[in-house]
Amino acid sequence: MTNRFGVGLLSLFFLTGCVQKEILDDIAIEIARGYDWKEEDKIEGTMLVYNFQPDKSIKNTTLTTTASTSRELVNYLQEQSPEPLSEGSLEVFLFGKKLANEGLIDYLDAPIRNASIGARLFLVVVDGNAKELLNGNYGNRGNAIFISNLLLHNIKYENLPKTNLQLFFRDYYEVGKTGFLPQIKKIDDNKLELNGISFFKTDKIRVIDTLETEKMFYFKLLVDKFSEGSHIVERDADKAVIRSISSRHKMKITKRDPYTVTVHIKIRGIIREYTGPGTLTKKVITKYEKALEEEVTKECEALIKRFQEQEIDPVGLGFFIQTRTRGLHLKKDWEESDMYKNLTVKVVTDVKVLESGVIE
Amino acid sequence: MKSWFFKSEVKNDMEKKEWEKFLVRSNDFKKIFYVNQKTKVRFCFSFMSTIIDENTLQTNILPYLLEKDFNELDDIKLIVPMSDVQISDDASQIEQKIFNGYILVTIETEKKRFAFIAAQKEIVRTVAPPEVEFSVIGPKESFVESIGQNLNLIRKRLPIKELIVEELTVGKLSKTRVGIMHVEGIADPENLNTIIQRIKDIEIDNIVDSSYIVQIISDNKHSPFPLLLDTERPDRVAAILAEGKIAIVVDGSPHILIAPTTLVEFFGSFEDYYLNYILSSFFRLIRLFAVAFSILITPIYVATLSYHYELIPKDLLSTLITSRREVPLPPILEALFLELTIELLREAGARLPTKVGQTIGIVGGIVIGTASVQAGLTSNVLLILVALSALASFTTPVYKMGNTIRVLRFPFLLFAELWGLLGVVFCFILLMTHLLRLTSLGRPFLEPLYPLRVHDFKDALIRLPFSKQNMRPQFLRTEQPVRFNKKKTKDKKQDIDE
Repeated sequence: MTNRFGVGLLSLFFLTGCVQKEILDDIAIEIARGYDWKEEDKIEGTMLVYNFQPDKSIKNTTLTTTASTSRELVNYLQEQSPEPLSEGSLEVFLFGKKLANEGLIDYLDAPIRNASIGARLFLVVVDGNAKELLNGNYGNRGNAIFISNLLLHNIKYENLPKTNLQLFFRDYYEVGKTGFLPQIKKIDDNKLELNGISFFKTDKIRVIDTLETEKMFYFKLLVDKFSEGSHIVERDADKAVIRSISSRHKMKITKRDPYTVTVHIKIRGIIREYTGPGTLTKKVITKYEKALEEEVTKECEALIKRFQEQEIDPVGLGFFIQTRTRGLHLKKDWEESDMYKNLTVKVVTDVKVLESGVIE
Repeated sequence: MKSWFFKSEVKNDMEKKEWEKFLVRSNDFKKIFYVNQKTKVRFCFSFMSTIIDENTLQTNILPYLLEKDFNELDDIKLIVPMSDVQISDDASQIEQKIFNGYILVTIETEKKRFAFIAAQKEIVRTVAPPEVEFSVIGPKESFVESIGQNLNLIRKRLPIKELIVEELTVGKLSKTRVGIMHVEGIADPENLNTIIQRIKDIEIDNIVDSSYIVQIISDNKHSPFPLLLDTERPDRVAAILAEGKIAIVVDGSPHILIAPTTLVEFFGSFEDYYLNYILSSFFRLIRLFAVAFSILITPIYVATLSYHYELIPKDLLSTLITSRREVPLPPILEALFLELTIELLREAGARLPTKVGQTIGIVGGIVIGTASVQAGLTSNVLLILVALSALASFTTPVYKMGNTIRVLRFPFLLFAELWGLLGVVFCFILLMTHLLRLTSLGRPFLEPLYPLRVHDFKDALIRLPFSKQNMRPQFLRTEQPVRFNKKKTKDKKQDIDE
């Protein structure tokens, strides 16, 4: 018995070569990667590699080369690196706008197939050139961390709906839903900004439309929930800032043949800033609530119209209707007919201001 | 007359008995003749002068035999004020009795009969505060090297007739007295019989300490885990006897063995019972965490740095990489180097006399720690981890278990180097299968975790208040599972004035 156990244990030692060893300080840790369109069937790839200085600061080191596929690109870049490039710590994948307009399907295969790349990787469209953006110098913790923190904070407190590799591909593989990605822009060598949301057509994952920053609030109301948002409501010349916004949305099929979907949006918030005549009485607050309700309903309905015209469905209305309809075969019945285009969507908004500060 | 007397004595004396032949070769064997002053009976003392108490002999035995009416051996029982006087005609006992500290009394008239008077000299260390299982609050007694004294300490805490001590003699040369204690009517007789049988079956020449017995009668002799709990606290032994367990007292050993035991018992300090149950539960959980930390932290360091860099948080990466920048060794050698250094320090500290031992702390802490980081042999992150895990391993209240934990870290390190976290998991599985198969006196060692005994959790990973401890542990299969009436504890005692 002991012998058999011992032999079994010893034989395990022959398996030691089966695990690939990657000692932390003997590898080049790749943290961001950017792809740009170079010419027909050629891409330019840029890799941002961790480079720690002895004083613990991080220097942005990039490697760039041109290749025709993304696999080839990684192989070429290995030739430039003193240590093996490892993809396990990737934080962001950037795609130049031009490449995104052509279609990203060939370049997204690598991150979803590689098990060591996390599902929380950010995919980002760059308004401009990814290489140029990566060659900038943002913050003091490295460019990749800067970009991912920028997105994280906008997801948590601002108007960017939750997005990452996993969520994008869930939308991509879901019939009756299309994906979206955040878009960033380089302002100057030390500054970046989030400047919109790109919507994708499923066929080749190409960008078909980009949402402006001002509309992102309404888009997030439709696809995600707020827990810490803020929004400015304007009434004539007065302004009120509503903070600590929490929101939920709920969809309901109200009519079939043709389909009508009602989206109920529930918003709760606190007025933190108010500029206008007189005090903020209950009456005034109710007026602001009404104003925001009207605004949200109008803008959201307009947004959905816009999606319908472009035949994209980032809200997932098709998917929603399928879950509530027996026998509806989306691929056949939905995509090949005009059902989505003819869909009527109503938005019902319910806004309540819970507090208006302490000064009366 | 005198010459006749003398002659007869010499003649008598010359007939050396079989049992005396060996004894007379020892210088401390004494044979003295006396004559009773009243009856003129001639009697003789034979004893080993080094193991009997001469004071007892001079004050409690000799004066009475010289001055009282002493005609035949049976009179000794009446005239000598000693409790342990035996009359026997079995000559084969003589040698054994003499070496156990008895005085052999023979008289001329009764050649075939002997009297033994117990007069052992007990050189007993005074009862000192416990050193290994020290507690700030609670009794400050610990066992000594004498079985008599140790039994005394236990009996004082359990003054009941049901506390039974059965004595066996083990060891062909050492003739060590081993006492097996249990409380009749509570302890499972099966456990008792198992222990008695195993101790009777011991085949060894010399038993020096109770640790010998542990190693000989353990269910699994090839396990690094101690399968019998040893303690130096009389309060713990008394509490455990009342719980229905069995204690083994070995003469010459200040550690008493307790069986059957479970793994979690090794992580409970007896001070837990002296503190409020909330505090003691918290401390027990901390200790368990410390054990897990101590075993796993360096293997996890080695595994993540060698295989799973993607698991390291981005903010920690720069700290780790910059601290390892100068280190020429791969993580495994770095970890082994530091772990061995700590083991060396610990071993050196344990072997050195106390006064010199202090310098070891300084040498180890300052010189080796700081210097090896400055020399670039280790990273300071690992230094912190190794120091913390060494610290955590000291929280185990039972010293023997602490040693086991020290050793367990090394196979984990090896597996971490071979297959990363997969190896750590694999090693953990091996450890668990080993633990699952262990038994203490045939009772599962991992109880109450496996087999799951929810009722026994009241005094395992956490400790519930005494009012909830009204049942004895299930795995002991005690004859009387109920400790006390729970109903009486439930009522809130009303103040007489209310």
